[in-house]
Amino acid sequence: MRNRKVFPATVALALSMALVTACGGDDDSTGSNGGGGTGQGGADIEGSVTMWTYPVIADDAEHRAFWDDMIKAFNKEYPNVDVTVEIFPWADRDQALSTAIAGNSAPDVVYLIPDQLPGYARNIEPIDEYLSEEAKSDYLPNAIDAVTIDGKMMGAPILASAVPLTCNKAIFGKVGQEEYPATWEDLRAMAPAFDAAGYDMIAYPGDVSQTLNLTFYPLLWQAGGDVFTEDGSAVAFNGPEGVKALEFLKEMVDAGYVAEDTLTTNPPIEQTTLAKGEVACEWSTEPLNLVEFWGEENVVVLPPLTDVKQVAYGTVGSLSMLSSAEDKEAAGAWIAFVTDAKQAAKYDEASGFLPVKKSVGSLYADDPIQGEVEKYTDLTTVGPLHPAAREVMGVLAPEIQAVLIGEKEPKQALDDAARAAEPLLR
Amino acid sequence: MSVGTTHGVHRRRTPSRERSTRLPPLGRGRRRDRLGWREARVALLFILPCLLLFAAFRFGPAAAGAILAFTDYTIGADTHWVGLDNLRRLVDDPLFWKALRNTVYYAVLTVPLSIAVALSMALLVRRAFLGYKIFRSIFFLPVVTSLVLAGIVFTWVFSPGGPWSSLMGALGLPDKSWLTDPVLVIPALVVVAIWTRFGFGMLILLARMQDIPRELEEAALVDGASAYQRFRYIVLPELYPALFFLVIIETTFSFQVFDTVYVMTGGGPANASYMLVFQLYDQGFRYFDFGYASAIGLALFLMTFVVAMIQRLTLGRDR
Repeated sequence: MRNRKVFPATVALALSMALVTACGGDDDSTGSNGGGGTGQGGADIEGSVTMWTYPVIADDAEHRAFWDDMIKAFNKEYPNVDVTVEIFPWADRDQALSTAIAGNSAPDVVYLIPDQLPGYARNIEPIDEYLSEEAKSDYLPNAIDAVTIDGKMMGAPILASAVPLTCNKAIFGKVGQEEYPATWEDLRAMAPAFDAAGYDMIAYPGDVSQTLNLTFYPLLWQAGGDVFTEDGSAVAFNGPEGVKALEFLKEMVDAGYVAEDTLTTNPPIEQTTLAKGEVACEWSTEPLNLVEFWGEENVVVLPPLTDVKQVAYGTVGSLSMLSSAEDKEAAGAWIAFVTDAKQAAKYDEASGFLPVKKSVGSLYADDPIQGEVEKYTDLTTVGPLHPAAREVMGVLAPEIQAVLIGEKEPKQALDDAARAAEPLLR
Repeated sequence: MSVGTTHGVHRRRTPSRERSTRLPPLGRGRRRDRLGWREARVALLFILPCLLLFAAFRFGPAAAGAILAFTDYTIGADTHWVGLDNLRRLVDDPLFWKALRNTVYYAVLTVPLSIAVALSMALLVRRAFLGYKIFRSIFFLPVVTSLVLAGIVFTWVFSPGGPWSSLMGALGLPDKSWLTDPVLVIPALVVVAIWTRFGFGMLILLARMQDIPRELEEAALVDGASAYQRFRYIVLPELYPALFFLVIIETTFSFQVFDTVYVMTGGGPANASYMLVFQLYDQGFRYFDFGYASAIGLALFLMTFVVAMIQRLTLGRDR
């Protein structure tokens, strides 16, 4: 794997060609973004790139075919770059990646979400200089924010997701409830009727393997709180907002309004009361994933719940270059190519995720589920981008469990978690 | 020194001092020494590949892990020697002590119960009866079943409204899910451990039982010994070496429990089933703090080693 040395004249020629290509109005060309910051033409860049990604498109054959086509398209412009895309399971992906990094066998490019970025920040080559200004300015501002650490982009966003409130229309019909909940108060008011009819009002996946971004943190944010203080020097989840959020959750659990099976364990989804259609509403599963269990006609996508703020969790999937990549120009060109608005939109549509580029606009205007989800992306947050975010989840999640099974009071549990988190922030 | 019993005859190994009184002439002895050395070298040559593989893939990583325990090694950052800092942190870490308590509690329940079940099953299928080979195979099946698969199945078994809850309800006991109860979660994991492990113990004990001469039991039967007496005074003493082996192996396995906890409880509820290896995994692969994770591994190794030595001194004497 090597980079050919580029002489000034070649650079000038390449720049000229790039400019001509960029101004040429050829819709099929992605050269303006490819290697955007490098100033090199496609044929000048050579080397090999290995990318690790995960089943973003659930069907493996379809996913494989997508990347094969993408590589072919890329090689038309960059004939001297050899790209290999490897698709790994979602499970234990951090374990595989961290051991690969430790063993010097890491990929050049990897798919990461904001939650993972702080942990790998030391191993990531910032992508800013590999993307053209045009490509960067086309990103939605929250997509840029989600991947920026210390002022540098740790990845090039390629997709987004939002997890607003989802309710089961069939259950609402059976209970005779015509309105859907919009606030915590609505949930409180509706829950007894659902309970009387034999349904759980909400599901709360409280197993510690679940990210709190999808479970407790939305309640914390809705109550007006946050996980860390603004400067990140201390945790803030044990403030009055956090206590209020946990008290609300405890109140619902104690009254028997929350599905019991996922409170502290993580059974396969098909075994859960949620999948069996016995839970009225939830905010932890992407609505599309409920279609196979509830039926498309019963999946009702609603705005995020409100207490003092209306907010939900959403994530941004990005492609990051690891600093161990030998052919950085080639890896940068590949990332720039696949995250270009047109290519990324194809990926978003094939995978059912949301676009991150302004120029793409709406991808799902006619889709009753994704079309609704798309409306709420501006009400989402990707969660804390703090180096200790995962460790803090590790000490907080068991304390929340302790509250849900009646072992501790909310204030005591949150204070205990805050004490346990202190050494993690030093 | 007793070296075991063969057909009821105890043989004694000749002590070396006794042998020395009848040493062969010097020249012949030297030749034999030379021969012994040559044989030893040939033997060493044969086992060399295994030794090299062991050194490369077992001892090497273990030694590296022990060294990492004294560093702040994490991915992509410079590594520094931190001396005993990680071990001090371990001592001050309440989660470590919680995980240690849970692990010891789990082992204390699992080891005797799984051996007791293994012994019972071995006695059941010891004699030939119609289909006994099928039963032996069936009892051994859980051993070759994936622990993850077993974990998924037992998660369902112990789920609210699942078979276990229904059984408890039918017996007039509380029918709540054991996996969501901080008191019952470890017993639930012990049930799974017994199910997955007893087949291995049964096989070891069964193999040992096959070596016990039937004449001994038949003679005792003629003398009027009851079934319990035959078991207590003939079978059990012959099983001591195998039982000692099982105690060591089961203790080690119990200290290393991970898969079923990972699949079934994630260490919960409220850390009630959080085990040492789980903490090691969390620190290493969730938080990338490999230095601290290695310190936990070192502590686990020392604990297992000390317990094995105590077991050897108490249970394994003269076995």
